[in-house]
Amino acid sequence: MQSSQNLIDQEINLSENTCPNREQRARGINVYYGRASELVRDAKCGKLHNRERKFQQASGCVLNFYLSVRVNTIRDAAVIFHAPVGCSTPALGYRELFRDIPVELGRPDNFDLHWMTTNINEQDVVYGAADKLKFAIEEAERRYSPRAIFILTSCVSGVIGEDIEGVVNEVQPFCSARIVPVHCEGVRSRLVQTGYDAFWHGVLKYLVKKPEKKQKDLVNVASMLSYTWQDRREITRLLGKLNLRPNFVPEFATVEQFEQLSEAAVTAPLCPTYTDYLSKGLEQEYGVPYFLYPSPMGIAGTDEWLRKVARFTGKEGEVEALIDEEHKKWQPKLDIIRKELEGFKGNGEKIEVLGSLGQGRLLAQLPFFDELGLSSKAAMAQDFDNLILEEVEDLIGKVGDFDILVNTFQAAEQAHITRQLNPDLALTCPFQGGAYKRLKGITRIHALRGDSLPWSAQSGYTGAVTYAAFLLQSLKSVSFQRTMLAKTRDSYRDWWYDQPNPLHYLEKEA
Amino acid sequence: MTSDNSEASGVSEPKYPEVMEAPRYSCALGGAISTALGIFGTVPILHSGAGCGQAHLNGQAYGCGENAGGPQGGTSTPCSCLVEEHVIFGGENKLRNLIQSSIELMDGDLYAVISGCVPALTGDDVESVVKEFKEKANIISVKTAGFIGNSYKGYELFFQAVIDQLLRPLPVKKGRINIFGVVPYQHLFWKGDLKVLKSTLQRLGIEANIILREFGGPQNLQEIPAAELNVVLSPWNGHEIAKSLQEKFGTPYLTFPGVPIGPKQTSNFLLQLAGRLNIPAEKAQKIINEEESIVYRFVEYLGDVHILGLPHPYFATVADSGNAIGITQFLANEMGYLPEVVIITDNPPQEIRDGITRELTENIESIFKPDIIFESDSHKIRQKLRDRNFLVLLASSLEKFIAPELGAAVHLSVSFPSFDRLILERSYAGFSGGLNLMEDILSKIVAPL
Repeated sequence: MQSSQNLIDQEINLSENTCPNREQRARGINVYYGRASELVRDAKCGKLHNRERKFQQASGCVLNFYLSVRVNTIRDAAVIFHAPVGCSTPALGYRELFRDIPVELGRPDNFDLHWMTTNINEQDVVYGAADKLKFAIEEAERRYSPRAIFILTSCVSGVIGEDIEGVVNEVQPFCSARIVPVHCEGVRSRLVQTGYDAFWHGVLKYLVKKPEKKQKDLVNVASMLSYTWQDRREITRLLGKLNLRPNFVPEFATVEQFEQLSEAAVTAPLCPTYTDYLSKGLEQEYGVPYFLYPSPMGIAGTDEWLRKVARFTGKEGEVEALIDEEHKKWQPKLDIIRKELEGFKGNGEKIEVLGSLGQGRLLAQLPFFDELGLSSKAAMAQDFDNLILEEVEDLIGKVGDFDILVNTFQAAEQAHITRQLNPDLALTCPFQGGAYKRLKGITRIHALRGDSLPWSAQSGYTGAVTYAAFLLQSLKSVSFQRTMLAKTRDSYRDWWYDQPNPLHYLEKEA
Repeated sequence: MTSDNSEASGVSEPKYPEVMEAPRYSCALGGAISTALGIFGTVPILHSGAGCGQAHLNGQAYGCGENAGGPQGGTSTPCSCLVEEHVIFGGENKLRNLIQSSIELMDGDLYAVISGCVPALTGDDVESVVKEFKEKANIISVKTAGFIGNSYKGYELFFQAVIDQLLRPLPVKKGRINIFGVVPYQHLFWKGDLKVLKSTLQRLGIEANIILREFGGPQNLQEIPAAELNVVLSPWNGHEIAKSLQEKFGTPYLTFPGVPIGPKQTSNFLLQLAGRLNIPAEKAQKIINEEESIVYRFVEYLGDVHILGLPHPYFATVADSGNAIGITQFLANEMGYLPEVVIITDNPPQEIRDGITRELTENIESIFKPDIIFESDSHKIRQKLRDRNFLVLLASSLEKFIAPELGAAVHLSVSFPSFDRLILERSYAGFSGGLNLMEDILSKIVAPL
């Protein structure tokens, strides 16, 4: 078991059909409640285990948290869901995503996205659907002439034992699009992050080309769907000042951008554990260096992110001047907001914030809140794995110890901890059910990719100021959550909130 | 002119016609979740992978006019979140714990165990586990592996489970009906339409059990056998339910091609119901006269934008069959719009397609009859909308950004999926429903005259 703890340090094996699950690769879990320091200690001595809950809620799987709404945004590719018809319904927004972004803000004028489903039916379950998948690939090629065809697998294709690679090998010689199978069977893993790794595995194995030339000014930036169009603009602006260009993948990228990942000067993160598999793979296969921390969020985070980018691109000389210039412009604005935030309660106490965060945001946002004079005595994380072990230790050093509830969108647990801790401001995303119904502040934790409104930015310096102002604004609005608290029924019975443990339904260890 | 997939595209039937771009429905499990969530007071319990509820939220719920999951939907829905070890060792114990805890934690008048693909493949004995809880709670088991059908099938399977496991004979109440065929989340306006129909029928002395969108939904379910008549508002959805209820409880049923939109359809709806329920026709006619005159008085207000702004345009409808019939007939028969093409997207069974076609040709008053195309593949739908004359496109939001390339000046989302509008109680049903539809269409184009 000791060796498996370090699976993340082992080579990525691209001869395999897919990556190991996060459970194996990084000893990932999605159930824990306790002090962050204890979590770190338990992780270090290998004491963290995934345990069953007796009560669990629909939270998202390897395919359907993320890949089903994301891969189909790759502009000159087509996606085939090898699945029953329901697995792809979240992808129905494909023709509208990004379309509301004004062309003046840099959206390409014309683009057309495509996905298909093999619509696995009862007969396929009995006889197999390999021939149908083959047909779907050929049909996608006929219809869309894509540069790449991604195959997203499902629980059913996995359980009935479809030979995806067999089909790919058979069809690829006759297909001009590059076929990229992604093993995202929902049942394969408890951790939605396994989906990220599985996707990058396919990208690394099938799509990234050997570099024709190195592009010294190209910075790979793998971006989550929670980073908005304004975040991209800010990253582009900052890199532009250093005469560097971002290569944003995977969302809304072209296939060529994936092919060229190997030519970049560095792979920089927006979210470390999202990017990790790609970053390591690019270094291992093509010598593209990378760094995982920090994310460009908050003033200090952005400073450090830029410095690291500069180190890999030979821009150390210019970067300090850029940072100074940006500080002069943005720090005074941030100071004004910070002052107002600090005085908001009027009793000298800091505003207490509780956020539900992915691993990346946990690491990036808590220091940012600290910068803003906000306090986070607790946080919720979607999952936890050894990829961020050291960084959580650093984080505790920076902002102090805190309580952490690790769960993947478990709405009852999140409603419980929100009620129990009663923070001044609860940062939610819709996945927390009724946790927004309360007397104190609520707002969203982030906007989504297609949102191009300036107030939705969070990254870089402008994002720091914008998000600080956004949080301040949210504290001035309480009528909605109070009205809903008073006028609607809670999803859970009263006893749930009267007992102390959000993990009440955790099964005892076997 | 009628054509099916092959004729319109000029090629032979593809080898696997079900392989398609962006079909406009979810799976059977998706339809069952939708139905459970529509019956307020029901707690759905998913025995499935962890992503099925998330897919329902992101696809069916957001696609139905950007609706949130609500207190029992989205990530609030209990789910056994099956992974590999349950595939290997079975998920029955996991389900047992989940049902027990869901009953403890979440208040419900009905618990609906909805099982998906994985337990169907691994052979979990869901019924036996559910049976263990029969004494403790009102509970049913709905088996809806995603691979056995689409959302419409899930809607019927849910009610079939209710009929088989829940319903007992009741004395028939005179003047009481149940309404079926309005499939929640697939029919965007389910919440508003059912409310309007209920109050419209009330005027005629008919007590409509709309089942959905009301507190006490499980009680509504229990009372299904008390109806004098079952009314089905779709050319095919809900027909199996009505047949089952006729077999089991002897309740007769009456079907309509869709939810009635505007005075003409609504008048016909009321007159037919009055006839079946022995309500004097004069009573119905009196209500119709009152309602009609006020609605057409309001139509007078739209006269100028209608005639100056967008008179008698060709239009295209892309929708599920019931919705397509209602909207097309209203615009063609009352507003003078010219129906150029109707694309039916819900994949109705072959044997009822002629009937749908008749509704859209014989029951259209314009001298111009539309092309009727049955197509669920969004790529082919786009192709079949090309090279036409329509200015108004009544479709899903999938057509929003391709409307300009098709030459449409107005696009309005009226069918699933519709991500580009918020739909709470909006309704096109009943006497005034057509006014709402005209407001929505013309608001997309009006400007100073």
